[in-house]
This record gives sequence, C-alpha cells and structure tokens, in this order.
Amino acid sequence: MSARYGMVIDLDRCTGCGACMVACAAENNVPPAHSRATARTGITPMLVRRLSNGTPGADAREAFIPITCMQCGHETPCVSVCPQQAVEVDKATGIVLQMPQRCLGCRYCMTACPYHARYFNWWDPQWPPGMEQTLNPGVSVRMRGVVEKCNLCHARYHAATEKAAGAGETQIDPLDYVPACVEACPTVAILFGDLADPSDPVSIAADSPDCFRLLAQIGTDPKIHYKTTQDWIRALADRNSLRSHSPEAQHV
Amino acid sequence: MSEIALLDRRWITRGVQRASAGRFALWLAPWFVLLFLGAYAAGLCFFYGLNQTNMDNRFAFGLWIFADLSIIAMGAGAFFTGFLVYILKQQDLKPVLNSAVVVGFICYSGAVAVLMVDVGQPLRAWFTFWYPNTHSMLTEVTFCISCYLLVLILEYIPLLLKNRQLRKIPAFLVFEHQFHKLVPGLAGVGAFLSFFHQGSLGGLYGVLRGRPFAYRQGLAIWPSTFFLFILSALAVGPSFLMLVVATAEKVTGKQLVQNSVYRKLGFISGVLLALYVAAKAIDTYIWLNITSPAVGFGPRDFYSYWPLSSLFLFIATVPLGLLPAILMIVPVTARKRGCLLCGAVLASGGVLLNRFVMTVQTLALPTLSFDSFLKYTPSWQEVATFGGVIAYGVIVYSLSYRYLPLFAARKGADPNASQD
Amino acid sequence: MLPRTDGFHWTATHLIFLSLFFAALLIIVSTLLSGIWRTVADFRKHRANSVCWRETFQELPENERHCRHELAGRVASRLCDNAFDCRTCRNYAHFAILPATWRNGVGVPYSDRLLYHRGHTWVHPELDGTFSVGLDEFANRLIGRPDSVQLPEVCAELESQGIAWSMSRNGHHIRVRAPLTGTVIATGGPDQDFYLKVLPHGKPNLRHLLNGPEVPGWLASEIERLQRQIAAPGAPHCLPDGGTLMPNLMDAEPQADWDNVLASTFLDM
Repeated sequence: MSARYGMVIDLDRCTGCGACMVACAAENNVPPAHSRATARTGITPMLVRRLSNGTPGADAREAFIPITCMQCGHETPCVSVCPQQAVEVDKATGIVLQMPQRCLGCRYCMTACPYHARYFNWWDPQWPPGMEQTLNPGVSVRMRGVVEKCNLCHARYHAATEKAAGAGETQIDPLDYVPACVEACPTVAILFGDLADPSDPVSIAADSPDCFRLLAQIGTDPKIHYKTTQDWIRALADRNSLRSHSPEAQHV
Repeated sequence: MSEIALLDRRWITRGVQRASAGRFALWLAPWFVLLFLGAYAAGLCFFYGLNQTNMDNRFAFGLWIFADLSIIAMGAGAFFTGFLVYILKQQDLKPVLNSAVVVGFICYSGAVAVLMVDVGQPLRAWFTFWYPNTHSMLTEVTFCISCYLLVLILEYIPLLLKNRQLRKIPAFLVFEHQFHKLVPGLAGVGAFLSFFHQGSLGGLYGVLRGRPFAYRQGLAIWPSTFFLFILSALAVGPSFLMLVVATAEKVTGKQLVQNSVYRKLGFISGVLLALYVAAKAIDTYIWLNITSPAVGFGPRDFYSYWPLSSLFLFIATVPLGLLPAILMIVPVTARKRGCLLCGAVLASGGVLLNRFVMTVQTLALPTLSFDSFLKYTPSWQEVATFGGVIAYGVIVYSLSYRYLPLFAARKGADPNASQD
Repeated sequence: MLPRTDGFHWTATHLIFLSLFFAALLIIVSTLLSGIWRTVADFRKHRANSVCWRETFQELPENERHCRHELAGRVASRLCDNAFDCRTCRNYAHFAILPATWRNGVGVPYSDRLLYHRGHTWVHPELDGTFSVGLDEFANRLIGRPDSVQLPEVCAELESQGIAWSMSRNGHHIRVRAPLTGTVIATGGPDQDFYLKVLPHGKPNLRHLLNGPEVPGWLASEIERLQRQIAAPGAPHCLPDGGTLMPNLMDAEPQADWDNVLASTFLDM
C-alpha cells in the first residue's frame, strides 16, 4: 500500500534553534555558502523563519516557523511545470522527488512554488580541504545550475527499504526512516509519519483543529501541517483566518 | 572608388543607393562594441555560473525572461505578416514582408541565445525533447520556438540567396527559385506554431496556481493569459514592424515603403489592440472578483506595494492600450505618420509593461502572508547580455538592409530618383 | 525516451501533443527536402541555366525589358514577358509579320551581317558550320580594352543565356552571356576579331537574336538608357541628337555608376 509521508510541526514547541537546518545541510551535502551568497541565494531546504506579531513592548510575541517543501499532493505545481519531467511524485511514498541529474536549471519550478521551497545552485559546490570528509555517501552532490529541495531524506527511506528487504520484510520499520530534521529537533517539534495510515501519530495529529496548512486554499494539498494554539500565529500564518498587514517575517 | 569600396559595392544589390562603406562601418562600430560587451557578459555567466546575475531564489526569473517574452511578442510581426500576405492574400503588405522575416529571425534567434545563457545547464537543453512533459507550458514553448526558429531560418535563406554575389552561384539561385514557391506552406506552419507558442508564453504564468497574481481560469487546459498573450502579440507585431521600418527610413534618409502600408499595419494593430484591451478588462474583472478571492487573495494583495500599484493597471489599459488603439484606427490621427508611430510606440510600451508585470511583479509579490514585497535590480552582466542581443538585432538588420533586397523596388520608377 | 521512462503511460495529451509537433516538423523538413530535390532535378534535366536566367530577368527594371518588336517599331509599346527568349514566345509570329520602322543615326556602328544578343554580343555564322561570337561595338566603346579576359577552355559547353566568358575592367568584374548553345572549338580575345568560335549541336535556333530593323532600335534605346544611367542624379534628361558613342567611356566618365551600367548592359544583375 502506498504511503503519504508528511509532517506536523508544532509551532508552540519550535524554539528557532536551527538544529533542523544544520542537520538538513549535513545530511544532504549542502556545501558551505559562497562568500558572495546572501539570504536569497543560499541553499536551505529546511528554513526556519521568524514570525512577529508586530506589537511593541510587553505584548511583543515571536515565534518560529520551519518552512520546507510541502510535498504537495494534488496537481503538484512544480511537477506539472517541469519541461523535462525532472520532478515526480513518488507513488510509494508521496514524496515529491527532484532529479538534479535531469534538471535543466530553467527555474520554472521555483517560480511555480508558492512556498519558495526550492533552491538553485548559483555556485559550484566547494568544500574547504578536509571538509569533504563530512560528506554523506548516500546522497549525491549537485553541480551548479540545477534546482534542489527537500525530499524528506529519501536516501534514508531507500536505506530503510534495503534493510527491510534484507530482513525479508515488505514494509519498512517506521523507526528506520526518520528525516534528519526530525531526528535533530531537541524539542520534538516535528512529528513525521505516514498520513495515509490512520493509526499513525502524525495522521492523528493532523486531524486536530489546532492544525492548519499554509496556503491550503490554493488547493495543492500540502503534506506539511502546522500546529499552534496561539491565535496570533494562526492569524498571521494561515490565510484562511483574519490577517493583519504589519507582520515582519525574518530568517533566523 | 577604392578597392574596399568597390568590393563592398559588388555585394550591394545593383541599382540601389547605399551609404559609403566608411559611413556604414561607423554606424556598425558602436553596435559591435555593445555586442562584444554582451558576449563577454554571457561568457562570464557560462564560465562562472548564474551567480554573475542578480537573480536569486525568490527572483528566479529576471530581466532575461522579461526580455525573452518581450522580444518574442515583438517578433510576432513575422508570422502575422506572412499569414496576412500568403494566407489572407493582403498583397499590399508585401513590401514589408522581407523586413518582417528578418525582424522575426532576429527576435527568435536572439531570444533563444538569451535562453541558453539563462538556464543553469545549457548543454542539457535537449532533455526537454527527450523527456517532454506534455502537461508543461514550457515544454510547449520549447518545442514550438525551436520549430519556429527553424521556419524563420528557412524563410530567411531565400532572402540571403538573393544577395548579388550569392545568386551568381547557380545552385543557390535555382534553390532560391524553387524554395520561394514553397514558402507559403512554411508560412502556414509558422502561423500555427506561433499561435501556440505566443499563447503558451502567456500560459506559463496563467497556470501558476501557486502565484494567484498570475493564475487565471480559462478554456480547457488553457488559462485566459494564453489567449491574451496571443492577442497582444498580434497587436504589437505590426506596430513593432512599423517602428523598425520607420527607423530604417530615418537612418537611411529614404522612403522605403508607401504610407498606405503604414496605415494598414497601424489599423490592424489598432483594432487588435482594442480587442485586447476589452478582453483584458473582462479577464481582469473575473480574476479580481472570482478567481483570486476563491484562493483567499484580492486586490490588496496585488496592488498595495508601490510602485507596482493599480496605477500600472490603469497605465496599461488607457495610455498604453486604448489611446494607441484610437491613434492608429481613427482616420484623423491615423492619416499622420507621426501619430501612427506614436501609437506604435505606446502599443509596444503597453505590451512591454504587460510582460514586465507578468514576469517581475508576479515574483515580487508575496504569497505567504508573512512574506514581504521584494525588489530586484539586474546586474550589469544581465543588462549587457540584453544589450548585446539588441546590438545583434541592429547589426543583422543593417547588414540585411545593405546587402539584401529587403524592400522591393517600385517597378517603372525613375532609376535616378532616390529609391530602394 | 518516453516509453522507457519509469511510470510512463500513453495518454491522449501525449498523442495529441507529439503528433502535432511531429506533423509540424515533418512539414518543415519535407519543405526543405522538396526544395533541395527540385533543385537537383533542375540540374539533372538541364533546366538550371534557364531558371537562373529567368530569375535574373525578373530583376531587370521594366524600362529595360522592351520587346524587340517595340524596338523595331512594329508595336507602339510592349514589354517582354518571356525573358527575351523569342524561341519559345507564343506571340512572336503574331508581331513578326507587322511592318517595322528602320532608325537612322543610331550613334554606334552595327552590321547587317551579324545577329545580336541583348547582352551585347554578336553571332556570325561561318561557312564551316561554326559560329563566331564577339563583343558588339556598344560594349567595346563602353569598356574600352578589358584589363583581363577569362575565356572558357576549348571543348567547354556553353548554354544560351548562360555565362560565356568574363572580363575585368577598372576593378569591375563583367560576366558576358552566351548568345547560343554549343561547344567551344576556338578562343580569341580583344586583339582578334572574335572571342569564341562555337559549334552548336545540330541546327541551332537563333530566333532570340536580333537582326534587321530591331538592331538600330535596340541600340538607340540602349544609348538612351546609358545616358540616363551616366547622368548625375537630379540632372535633366538629355536625348541624343546625333553624334557617335565615344570609345572607352569608362575612362572618360569614371564618376558614373558603372556598377549599374555594366549590370544593365551585360544583363548580369
């Protein structure tokens, strides 16, 4: 049976520490940023952004929202626009997989993504001498001129299937497939699992009324859910609820 | 006459007057400088990568995509004039047909050249043909533009072979004679291809459900921008052609085509522009009142950020839309060459503004509610590459004008009179 | 490619898209191949020369396409619509029987014994069945003595209206049209009284060459054309009122647009 891997990210637990970002970079062989790279030309498949309620003084509130590829499940914008089918929705996992080897670098998918979750390799990857020892052998390195994004650590899924096959199993052990960001989060803010499995904790959590999805009205059926009990976060992040126009969003 | 002047003269169609070789070289020199600067900038991008530009993950498309869309819209005059002459038998437009082919060739080859610099991996360009995604508008654009560039090259070849020295080679002259008879068929295929890729360029943005500013409903798989882009390209093509011919007349100091040709081009452009403005108005109403609210977006999300405010919408509709249409249709103004050309300039400006709004403004506007409005300025490498393409266009057109019979001679005219 | 891509299956979209694309590509490629094929066929069937000449004829301005019958005074005004090829003209016989008018005082000598080609060569049938070909007096006086002449080799084949030989003068390259079809059996030059001796294949049809009252009429119109082309731009037209064409006009009037003059004279656009 096909899975639909997704996440529920608890914004009340996220401290903005950025451990998920570091773990993601390490797992996915993201090179050190070039000296001329900026916030808008860096590669951050997991990106924690700061939300602020804009109120000064004692009523000032801040929160953090990790943004990653939403793994859109319905008429996935990036899949339908790629001219050479370098993106596909994996039937077995529901993960939106990017094939950098086939990517032409036209960046149309980046234009199409409403979550800005896609990143272009503006430079050739370079590791300072010695740092190449930190490379993860399970993940290929991308050259300049291609787009990349979060693929829910698909290499770990692949390793889990190999392990299961080695043990003669047809289904993977959920404990064997945990993306790097989920593993690294110190407050266990990210819950990961199979949304298609009604008994999976993530599936149960996603049904909570405290959960919402970014830009859900657009209808792309994202698989990354956000959970918060704080109204101001909900109001700021969720377009369906009341909005204000003084928000300031910054990167960590 | 010096030897160089004689050598140069031998390549010029007999019986026409052209500037001296020295003056022509002086005219070309600054354009070549611009071309080499553009080539250098493009070379930097090929060698070092796209970090040479000011594009980034939020502005994945920048000046070059705006340039591509604008250039291709302007080049629509090629297929449209061919369609009018060969299919609709509007023979009075024949004098500008060769010019239209050259303009089309320049626009499409220039656009493809810029595209090759714009993509991250140009050597993988053939992937689109080998793994085509038939649901993607960009696939459609790639296929159609490649085919249409082939058509334009084939339409340009007979003109090239009419060069005075080249036609002395019997094989070339015979081929030109035979191929010339087959060009109407090519014009038909060209019209078909152009229809689809002009539309698909609009469809590129219309299908972006993740960008409510660009997203449109439409007919079957085609968003309304598909049809609006076709209409605006058809409207601006004749205008741009008028401007090119008028500029050639100004630079060379000759009357190259009769006023009736200008009036006809202007009338066609004006009528289509008026239709376009009406269609766009209806489309805008639907988009702002039905399509966008359905996904939680509205005018406040689109027009609250200066300078890209609703003023742009007004400018695109009235001074750059209705006004040029009126100037080019109403006989009182259309009779005057100055008003016609003014209309052509405004119409071209309107289409450029539309392409800018669809490419740049779409990316500048935030989609996530906690995002901010972004700004982008092209780097000198981007500007230089764009300038290089314009220089390439001027050079090719100048060479074509000088060495090829671009404008048909008027039969029976006094050979001593200043004519072409 | 598509069918081997993992997970690929044919849909209506694929069929429509790819068939439209391949149809367009097929039309484009077959148009190009058709053009090439027809060109090769023209060469194989020895039609290439005729095609080239007719294409060149199209480039002549209207005022240089007077029909020989107009030049001979048989009709008031007529433009040639058959590339000066009276051998295949359907109206030739209709006009040929009309009375002609002889012109006097043309301004350049000509001979009744010669047949003239409109590219300013003459043809003289010899007793041994060959034909001598030379440059007429109009052309001789126009260019003076050529700086160099490139004649075809003996046994070379000439085709009527094709290129017989070329010359250069004052940096201008001149190609002279062949007045008849045949094999070159001897070459001469500007110092001899012929340029080429040609042996036709069988009995040649020389109807396209001018003779009789057409020749002075034609020469007079050529001189008129020459005066127009040599005159300074904007100068009033002058009509000839007698006198002869001076020799070596090219050196006497170096400022004239010789490029234009030579193209019209030798029918080589």
